[in-house]
Amino acid sequence: MRQHIAKRILALAIAGAAIPTVSSGEDQTEAASPFTGDVPSMQEEALAAGIDHQYTGPWEFFVGGGAASFDCNGDRLPDLAIAGGSSEAALYVNKSPIGGALKFEKKDLGLPERELKSVLGFYPVDIDNDRQMDLVMLRLGENIILKGGKDCTFEKANRLFSFSGGREWTTSFAATWEAGMTYPTLAIGNYVDRSAPGTPFGTCSDNYVFRPQAAEGPDYSQPFTLHPSYCSLSMLFTDWNKSGQMSLRVTNDRQYYRGGEEQLWQLPDGRPPRQYTSSEGWQQLKIWGMGIAQADLNVDGYPEYALTSMGDTMLQTLDEEAEDERPVYRDMAFEKGSTAHRPYVGGDKRPSTGWHSQFADLNNDTNLDLFIAKGNVEVMPDFAAFDPDNLLLGGFDGKFHESGNEAGIALDTKGRGGVVEDFNADGMLDLLVVNRKHNVNLFRNLGAKTDWGHRPLGNWLKIELDNGKINPNAIGAKINVRSGTLTQVRTVQAGGGHASGQVGFTHFGLGVSERAVIRVQWPDGEWSAPYRVFTNEHVVIRRGADAAQYWFPVSQ
Amino acid sequence: MGWKQLAACLATAFVATTALAAEPWAEKTNALGASGKEVSGKLTAAELEKLIATGEELFIARYTVNDGAGRPAATQAIVPTKRRHPVQNAFSRTSGADGNACSSCHREPVVGGAGDFTANVFASEGFESADFDTTDPQFSSERGTNHLFGAGLIELLAREMTADLQSIRRDALLEAHKSGKSQRVKLETKGVDFGWLTVEPDGIADMSELDGVDMDLVIRPFSQKGVITSLRQFTINAMNQHHGMQPNERYGKRWTGTDDFDEDNFPDEMNAGDVSALVAWQATRPVPTRQVPDIEGWAEAAARGEELFNSTGCSSCHMESLPLKSPVFDDPGPVDVSGTLNRDQVKEVASYDLSLLPWFKTLPRNEKGEVLVPLFGDLKRHTMTDARGEELGNELMAQRFVDRNIFMTAELWGVGSTAPYGHRNDFTTLDSIILAHAGDAREQRDAFADLPEADRSAMIAFLKTLVIEQ
Repeated sequence: MRQHIAKRILALAIAGAAIPTVSSGEDQTEAASPFTGDVPSMQEEALAAGIDHQYTGPWEFFVGGGAASFDCNGDRLPDLAIAGGSSEAALYVNKSPIGGALKFEKKDLGLPERELKSVLGFYPVDIDNDRQMDLVMLRLGENIILKGGKDCTFEKANRLFSFSGGREWTTSFAATWEAGMTYPTLAIGNYVDRSAPGTPFGTCSDNYVFRPQAAEGPDYSQPFTLHPSYCSLSMLFTDWNKSGQMSLRVTNDRQYYRGGEEQLWQLPDGRPPRQYTSSEGWQQLKIWGMGIAQADLNVDGYPEYALTSMGDTMLQTLDEEAEDERPVYRDMAFEKGSTAHRPYVGGDKRPSTGWHSQFADLNNDTNLDLFIAKGNVEVMPDFAAFDPDNLLLGGFDGKFHESGNEAGIALDTKGRGGVVEDFNADGMLDLLVVNRKHNVNLFRNLGAKTDWGHRPLGNWLKIELDNGKINPNAIGAKINVRSGTLTQVRTVQAGGGHASGQVGFTHFGLGVSERAVIRVQWPDGEWSAPYRVFTNEHVVIRRGADAAQYWFPVSQ
Repeated sequence: MGWKQLAACLATAFVATTALAAEPWAEKTNALGASGKEVSGKLTAAELEKLIATGEELFIARYTVNDGAGRPAATQAIVPTKRRHPVQNAFSRTSGADGNACSSCHREPVVGGAGDFTANVFASEGFESADFDTTDPQFSSERGTNHLFGAGLIELLAREMTADLQSIRRDALLEAHKSGKSQRVKLETKGVDFGWLTVEPDGIADMSELDGVDMDLVIRPFSQKGVITSLRQFTINAMNQHHGMQPNERYGKRWTGTDDFDEDNFPDEMNAGDVSALVAWQATRPVPTRQVPDIEGWAEAAARGEELFNSTGCSSCHMESLPLKSPVFDDPGPVDVSGTLNRDQVKEVASYDLSLLPWFKTLPRNEKGEVLVPLFGDLKRHTMTDARGEELGNELMAQRFVDRNIFMTAELWGVGSTAPYGHRNDFTTLDSIILAHAGDAREQRDAFADLPEADRSAMIAFLKTLVIEQ
């Protein structure tokens, strides 16, 4: 026990220091109890599925490499937009048969070649509330908002939305509908200012918050500057204190900032954003922040955050011993077994480099799992060269268990962005990983491997929300799913991860439950009636409706 | 004592315990584990006979602590759920564990039969207030024990009906997608009307016109309420609730992280093979038959009563028979979901042909060669109360999304052997349970009530010929 505490103290102490953090000399899996649940068998089939796509380019594209998952043609199957760096970004329309092999068809995004290049990431969000998903393209140079049309068509809407795409090196994005607003507030996070004296060190470009102006349509002509900014690689609007009001969580790359730290910004209604300070409890933390994932692991209404970095991935929870309303966090990654600080196979003992992170239940056992894309920045000698992506399966012991190798995702690629999503509508989450200088990995979840084949995982539920005319996808809503005495919570968000986002059904794993009850807290805070549903179904909940609707996928 | 001595002592103790457990008089159920971890493949008559025999042993066994009986840390819930507080007594007549053997309750007129009021059970979700010690209906719904005769055919009928309904849905979805127009289709299978389904071209379904079936279009043929999908699901639920015997296909490591979820220090209390044996025994129970007592006038009265049963409309729900296409029983089946094994969760199902059993040959067939299963039911749920009749509305809680006053049509085969009647065994006579009908059965109930006394008597004579053979 004393040894355990000592290790934890060491890990905590190192977390704020200037060297890569490695929690202990032991593999965390050695101390963990064996994982007894299903390990999803993930079969890589990108090329067979019709996706031949790499994220390439020089130094400016060492970061980024994101993808957006969203439905662009109304069939409710998730389509993909994938960044290409110096290569062209591309749109892939989902043609997968239900429960079958994954299949995508490339479709022209309708942009000139120069605009398709230099794309670092994509986030989907229906900015103009027209129920055609729009895309925000994060670029080296002018960012572009693509207004979605029918049948996966897009048109550049920067002028229409009075949105200045800027000239920065943009690496992060988030969106939220603030109270009373018709259109979303957008946050744009930038990286190094390459033109500043002394670049690249200590020359981070400022980030911006674009609040919609009073106008008939989206008008983003008056951005707020978030100063100081510290080379942000991920940002996320989050209701960290259960106040009903979003704050902006920003993770920053200490490689380039000077005097910087992780950040949390308040967004008071109608007033400029204001950064939480140490006097308010915010503790200085310096990491190579790459990606943010949010989940309410203990269902107390206060989210936990997984922050990827070089070395330890952090898992922050609001410190119960802190005073109320103070954003004081403690890292519980070590006690939860989720530090993922070095490769778990391959023998390379150097620290890992983590990028996209995402909570999801990939084995449908009711416990949230954590996916982390991993990969050396390029050839950094102090960090692992063979650095496989992590699949940390949540166990009934409350800990995470590394299962990437058994699942089949421990490949020799340099992961960056990613999407955990059910691409073939069979209720089992699949996985897209965007790789640097290597084709994407597209893993199909086959279920649990047995000596005779694969068997299905636990029961599941997928929920699509319809919030009405404004914010139709209900960004900011919380979904509670209760089965027996277990309640699970998910928040519908736009942002986070690493340059990657998704909009669509929200997935829940439900283990052995045959039924569940859903309640939705809509973005404005109003609670829905309870909806009683059977598991292993896709359901659509329209605000104010008496009953949930069922959606049935049909193979073409 | 050094660790070597300690280990030696423990080893000796283990050998002694093992030896004692192997004695013929050991206080445990030897049939547990006798069917292996799983049962699979097409069973020969001899293999089926052996499986059934093991199943019967498991059905009549009085489970002991040496089998893993009791669930000190788990509730009766169908989803593994921990108790909030320890309980003083391992057994509780209300919240359970409440039975020593399956046959403790399923026993009238023979093992596998129904139970009278003495053997009522208390259906509770087992989540909140799981340890209730009252029969107050705000905590549980008190129910009579159903008989299991003909249960295999009932499940096969339900599987075929589920497949039919889901096929109708699928065809409608394809047509809506193809035509770009919404499709409103009638949900009818085996002559039973389950309402209408409307699907839109984008795959959204309107369930508001469904009648008597769940929104997933699964016919759940078991329990008074019609909320249990299969004998396998029922068996797992009941073994936990009534005996504290936890089958590992739901309560084991895969789904709970432990092999001793109920914390009675007995791991993996029942494996899939044990459940399969119990299912096989239940699925192969003979169908109830018709027997007219050799008493003067009874045959004539029964014939007259059957005519009246039809003419008053009773048979519109208590349908004399439903046609069954295939008598082959696969276990696990096609419909269950994770937590109960289904055919996708195993390498190979166990498969047995019920038509090989002697009793099956007595069943009539229709012109298509389908077997007519004489269940006197429709496997559909109905509202059983209205403003003028609330006698069957004495429950307070919905069960698994089914409102308190809605029940599945009781199959009347065997009704002559299974008094008392009603979902709570509240009615001592057939006459009184018929008169208690209301809601969807209002018209038929009133028709019965309006019959002359002699005709009502004739109908009782008919119903009493529907018996379980002894």
